[in-house]
Amino acid sequence: MQEKTFILSVLIQLFIASFSTFLVIGLTSFYDPTAMGDMEIEGTRVAVVGSEDDRLYHLLEENSANTFLYSEFQDAYTDFYERRMDAILIVPDGPPEGEEILNVEVYLPGSEITATLVSMQLKEPLEKFEQEVRGIRTGRLPGYSPIEINIIDRGLNTSSTYFEFIYVALLPLLVFTPAFISGGLIIDFITEEYERKTMELLLASPASLLEIVSGKILMAVAIVPLQSFAWILLLKMNWIRISNPFHILLVVTLTGLILVLLSSIIALNFRDRGVSQLLYSMILIFLFMVSYLFTNSPLNLVTRLSIESIGYLESGIWIFIYSLAVIALYVVMRVTVSKNTITFKR
Amino acid sequence: MPGWFTIAKWEFFRSGLKFDARSSAVLIISMILVIAASYAASLTEMSMNQKMYSISTTEPGLQQILENDQRFESRVVSEYEASRFYIYGDDLTIIGNNAYFGDTSKSSAAGSALENTIKEYREAVLTSYNDVNNSHPVWVTVHDIERPQNFQLLSAEETAGKLEAGAEEKQDRAGEDEYGNEGITPESVSQGPSFIPPGDVAELDDHNGNSFFERQTISTPTHFSPPIPFTAILYAFLFIFPIYFVSQFYSTSIMDERTNKKGELILVAPLRRRDIVAGKTVPYLVVTILIETIITIHILGVPGDIEALQGILSVLSAIFPVVLLFFALSFFGAILSRSFKELTFTSVFLSVVISGYLFFPAMFANIHAISSISPITLIVRLIEGETVSLETYMFSTIPFYFVALSALAFGTLIFREEDLFTQKPISDKILDCFELFLSYRYGSVFLLSIISIPFVYMTQLMLIVMLFNLPAPYSVIAMIVLSAMAEEIAKSAGIYTVFKRGLAKRSLKNAVRYAVLSGTGFFVGEKAVAVLTLAPIASSAFGSVMTMGTLLLIPLLLHISTAMLSSVGICRLGSRRYLAAVLLATTVHSAYNMFILRGIFSG
Repeated sequence: MQEKTFILSVLIQLFIASFSTFLVIGLTSFYDPTAMGDMEIEGTRVAVVGSEDDRLYHLLEENSANTFLYSEFQDAYTDFYERRMDAILIVPDGPPEGEEILNVEVYLPGSEITATLVSMQLKEPLEKFEQEVRGIRTGRLPGYSPIEINIIDRGLNTSSTYFEFIYVALLPLLVFTPAFISGGLIIDFITEEYERKTMELLLASPASLLEIVSGKILMAVAIVPLQSFAWILLLKMNWIRISNPFHILLVVTLTGLILVLLSSIIALNFRDRGVSQLLYSMILIFLFMVSYLFTNSPLNLVTRLSIESIGYLESGIWIFIYSLAVIALYVVMRVTVSKNTITFKR
Repeated sequence: MPGWFTIAKWEFFRSGLKFDARSSAVLIISMILVIAASYAASLTEMSMNQKMYSISTTEPGLQQILENDQRFESRVVSEYEASRFYIYGDDLTIIGNNAYFGDTSKSSAAGSALENTIKEYREAVLTSYNDVNNSHPVWVTVHDIERPQNFQLLSAEETAGKLEAGAEEKQDRAGEDEYGNEGITPESVSQGPSFIPPGDVAELDDHNGNSFFERQTISTPTHFSPPIPFTAILYAFLFIFPIYFVSQFYSTSIMDERTNKKGELILVAPLRRRDIVAGKTVPYLVVTILIETIITIHILGVPGDIEALQGILSVLSAIFPVVLLFFALSFFGAILSRSFKELTFTSVFLSVVISGYLFFPAMFANIHAISSISPITLIVRLIEGETVSLETYMFSTIPFYFVALSALAFGTLIFREEDLFTQKPISDKILDCFELFLSYRYGSVFLLSIISIPFVYMTQLMLIVMLFNLPAPYSVIAMIVLSAMAEEIAKSAGIYTVFKRGLAKRSLKNAVRYAVLSGTGFFVGEKAVAVLTLAPIASSAFGSVMTMGTLLLIPLLLHISTAMLSSVGICRLGSRRYLAAVLLATTVHSAYNMFILRGIFSG
């Protein structure tokens, strides 16, 4: 029975994982055009309606976009409609040094993925154009001095969105899922005994309530680091570098202990599955929200550990703090158990 | 008073009583805590990316800008220390106007984060000047224009075109005729808003993404972003979360009846089974719809006129089949599982599957036609103010209705003592459903095959979602094999039940007879579904995998003969070799499909 449960939980997580890869691929391709391969980018064609000496046209060309110059909108539109072009861009009329706003009209194919590709391609030259025009016009703003930071490139190009998605969202989500599941599992373990009235039978055996509950807690917690470890291995196989894996496992196990102890306290107090599960999910959401509020919450700690952004002293202190929380909860659990034991004997 | 109403009333008040004073108090306190914490969290950046990168700089002025971004851990250092930043473990250093970073991907990411932060700061400073013409001189106006769909990707057009008897090509040409080459001006084609220069900075804020749920059409280049409908996922969360919660209570309540034979009392009451099931379901359904109504009104605003009311009603009509499916499957799951533990896993598994089905197509809500298989996409479109045609509505919701109703029906069939209060294995209970169905007066393998169609159909749509990200030829091959398998399992399930449960004698004659019945039934159902719903995606390559064979006779023969393979296989080899028989049938079926679709691979 137990191993079947375990296999099921692993299966569900595999399922989530297959979706996460989908998410990774989706996100990377949206935010990081280079990740999609150059072929598709080169494949998009932009019709520019304007003249040879438009500054924006040159910026678009420099940016290696596939641009085609049109003098009439009508021709460009015909080619766009017949799929020879993927987008139309109308260059604004006014001079950069003028007073009025320059409006760039962009026509994109609705409900097609090319729309996204083309927009990503257009963004950079458009921004350059904006900066050039600003270079002329911001002089008219009183007391404005632009900050310029030249980023000295070393050939590496990792977009922060991608990097942060992997280490801030994906990794913590994957390694903590087993802990979340175990917290729900222990509620089922305990309330089931009460609802099926098998707890009396168990208590009639030489095992005490403390032994029964501890056994269940041990089982629920033991599977947490195992699953998280599998996740870390899986990510490593996908060439995602994770530093300090054992510290991470320690943090995850401590979190698992906190959640499982909390749930067992809830389950012992309420003995009803529905109420306990609802309360547990409430507390889970609460804890999740609270972790936004401070640095080194378990999720943030895992992120910082995995990319070596935290020193051993600082991480050690926080692991110690979480261990204290575990001890405190353990004491509460013991008190709850002994309270319940007395009621039973009477 | 009808029977189901009594049960419903009883269910409604009883579930209220489950919360005694103590648990309600604790729940209310936890609710307040959650709200307080969410409010506090919403004031932050809502990301757990605190102190990811460490930056050293020689410029104190710059450090103040960096401190506003929680991702950075920054400090001011001397120039000498800054030049040796990697020794001190910094990812990035800024000396004067130059930023230097190390050779790790983390350093590089820090550089890209720095770039964004500086850009944001620049925009913030420029916005503080009340002079749009000089601070934001360039604007971009985006117009979305629909073109006739054309999936060049797999050059499936010819294949699909041939199979659909050229209906589509005609449509394409009609579309071309509609627009002449005369007199096209930007004004005549633009569907987006025409550009009105913003008057002052206040308006600038309006344009720059304050309206989170609206598709941005006018922006400055810095805020110009590709059409990524990730907001769709937020909708999905918003709408699905309550369903998930309430269905938990629902399945717990069903399970409650089953533990310790509590439900014996209702079963012996003079009520029909379907009244009991309806009575237990309706209260939860009503509560969920109420919650969804509140959410919809929250997003769309309180309706002032008939049109607004219509908008809200159409959003609700798109979410209703989703609610129904969630409930039907959790009902079925609650009857199948033997313990609370199993129930938790079944419900988690089901919600993950359904959420996947709803979420992932919705991600492409504004990008790809296939996204309309998810009702969430319809909701996104409705909220964005577009209209959804009845055809699209049918396409994405009919499978939900069918699967939900048949799951409820099957669940009701085994809502009896033998299945509720015993520890039968799951497969036996499913066989019980089929057996009961087949022993009804009008029940036959023929009808069972027809009923299985929506399940197969949803499985195949699910497969499209899952296989969408595989590279092109493999995704189609996997799709062909897996969908053939789903069809074969559906066709042979009834036959398997007949032989396994001894409803008919195990003879070659019977095997052939049932195979013909089941194959024909499946064929009839499949064509009905194809006519009803597949029109919107028929032009895509995936669509042609599913509908192929409007050439009528051959598919009929195919369905019968592959069904015959598994049926004779079960008959001859015994029901234990069921899997092997189905695999054989799958192989033949996929071989045929590949042959039909060979155009996709060669061209």
